[in-house]
Amino acid sequence: MAGGLPRRIIKETQRLMQEPVPGINAIPDEQNARYFHVVVAGPEGSPYENGVFKLELFLPEEYPMSAPKVRFMTKIYHPNIDKVGRICLDILKDKWSPALQIRTVLLSIQALLSAPNPDDPLANDVAEQWKTNEAKAIDTARQWTRMYADSN
Amino acid sequence: MSDDMNSGESDHDSDTDLSDHMDEDDDYCGYYDNDTNDLDIDKPKKTDDPEYFEFELLQLEDVERFLNEEVEVLCSSQKIKPSLAKMLLHAHNWKKEFVIECHSKNPSKLLVDSKVIPKTKNQQLLAGPSAVCGVCLSQVARTDLYDLSCGHMFCGECWDSYCQVQIQQGTTLGIACMANDCDVMMPEDFLYSILSKPDLRNRYSQLSFLEYVKSHPALRFCPGPNCPIIVKAKDCRAKKVLCSTCHTMFCFKCGLEYHAPTDCDVIKKWLTKCADDSETANYISANTKDCPKCHVCIEKNGGCNHMQCSKCKYDFCWMCLGDWKAHGSEYYECSRYKENPNIANESVHAQAREALKKYLFYFERWENHAKSLKLEEQTLDKIKSRIQEKVMNSTGTWIDWQYLLDAAHLLKKCRYTLQYTYPYAYYMEKCARKQLFEYQQAQLEAEVENLSWKVERAEITHRGDLENQMDIAEKRRLTLLKDFLDI
Repeated sequence: MAGGLPRRIIKETQRLMQEPVPGINAIPDEQNARYFHVVVAGPEGSPYENGVFKLELFLPEEYPMSAPKVRFMTKIYHPNIDKVGRICLDILKDKWSPALQIRTVLLSIQALLSAPNPDDPLANDVAEQWKTNEAKAIDTARQWTRMYADSN
Repeated sequence: MSDDMNSGESDHDSDTDLSDHMDEDDDYCGYYDNDTNDLDIDKPKKTDDPEYFEFELLQLEDVERFLNEEVEVLCSSQKIKPSLAKMLLHAHNWKKEFVIECHSKNPSKLLVDSKVIPKTKNQQLLAGPSAVCGVCLSQVARTDLYDLSCGHMFCGECWDSYCQVQIQQGTTLGIACMANDCDVMMPEDFLYSILSKPDLRNRYSQLSFLEYVKSHPALRFCPGPNCPIIVKAKDCRAKKVLCSTCHTMFCFKCGLEYHAPTDCDVIKKWLTKCADDSETANYISANTKDCPKCHVCIEKNGGCNHMQCSKCKYDFCWMCLGDWKAHGSEYYECSRYKENPNIANESVHAQAREALKKYLFYFERWENHAKSLKLEEQTLDKIKSRIQEKVMNSTGTWIDWQYLLDAAHLLKKCRYTLQYTYPYAYYMEKCARKQLFEYQQAQLEAEVENLSWKVERAEITHRGDLENQMDIAEKRRLTLLKDFLDI
């Protein structure tokens, strides 16, 4: 990159390494400092508990004026996350603010795992199941967590 | 019919007929040419015509002037800056009187509601000569920190690149403060003071103009391809506009093709449905139908409408899919759709089929009228060249043959309305009103076909007969519109 890495990205990366967020691990790629390998632990008390979820996070050219691009790499049964791992989260779209950071984005994603929002769905079939039979949906989410997000 | 009428030919060229004809003229010529409006000032037509609508076609500069005048009124009445006046007007769909009233009564409430000022101001404590900008995380001198009315401070460079990205993404009037969860809007004078690139300043001014026009209920861009015209009307209603520059005819309210008697929401639903299903619908309706008894797919390969299923040997009518026996010796009447009365008890599969069947019924008729309209266009061309020929051979003067053109125009207009009755009927709930609608639709359909027949055979049809038929068809059309066009 011609201008090198913006000071803001350097600062954010430093702070992520020095004071990591509990339950979240974000490491910049060796080749590309705008690409982060992220691991989020399933929050306690949620159907994703004990699961380990891999995500990719990319800071586009316009960052922080545009939102980072984030995607789940691990399969997950969640009404706001679709088959290919895209996330329906307002701050990643129209509610993005340049004052938000990688840290705050990942915290929001962690919170989304604790509190799924089937009224604003991305995966329609999952959201439908969540609304009609929540117990069964939670059960499926647990099964998927065991199947695809096993920490071992 | 036309033979009988021929006997009284000479009577029909009298003065009374001519004046009747002149009356008709205003009626349907206005349909394609709005310029005739000033000719019928003293006639009561405006209130009688359910399609009547007053509008102006403006150029970009006229609209800029008009919007500036609106802004100026608010500025001088409330002693506020133009940039603020624009924000307030845009936020309230240019309801000037409403904004003036609210601003006089309780300005701070109006400003909060319009996202000009925050509910509570951010009390950022800035001690010392410099502070950290929350976006670039750099230490910045206080003199280079700027905020909107909310008090969220960021450095000039960050504001600049933020505005650049927003404008490149097409956002102009909706640019909010950079702080998280703050929805205070950026006034244009702030933006112009911060934005460094001249090309983006131009882009902002162009895009924001588009936004202003879009948010103004009395203005609408002509939807014609590359047409620069902006239409201005007193109020935003689902009425017919004809652009004199590109000749596009459209609905003022929604900007789609004109669609009376169907309303804006319904035509949008219908057109989307047709776009989604058109390929399937086209193929299925053009080539095949399912046997009403055993549902095997049948291709029609002959002209006869009496079909016999090769699988279950069931005899049925190709047009209405009813039992052929019921058609008896009388010819079938297939213009209205008959729903299966027992459909609620049928399987999901059968219901889906019924839904498709119902849609195809209306789609076929809609499509058929659209095709006929195109053919009618050719008829019009033929008539024009025939008139030319006749005048050149001194068979009457040009003015003598005008009634033929009028008839062709009227036919187009009636068929157009007829086409748009089908989406209306498709979405109509089954009720007495639907029965009345379908009755009037069938009446209009019959008269349009009569008129079409006579226009195609204009030379052997007597003028009086043709004009009589025009009158009947137009009356049927107006009756239907008066009863069913929501005004």
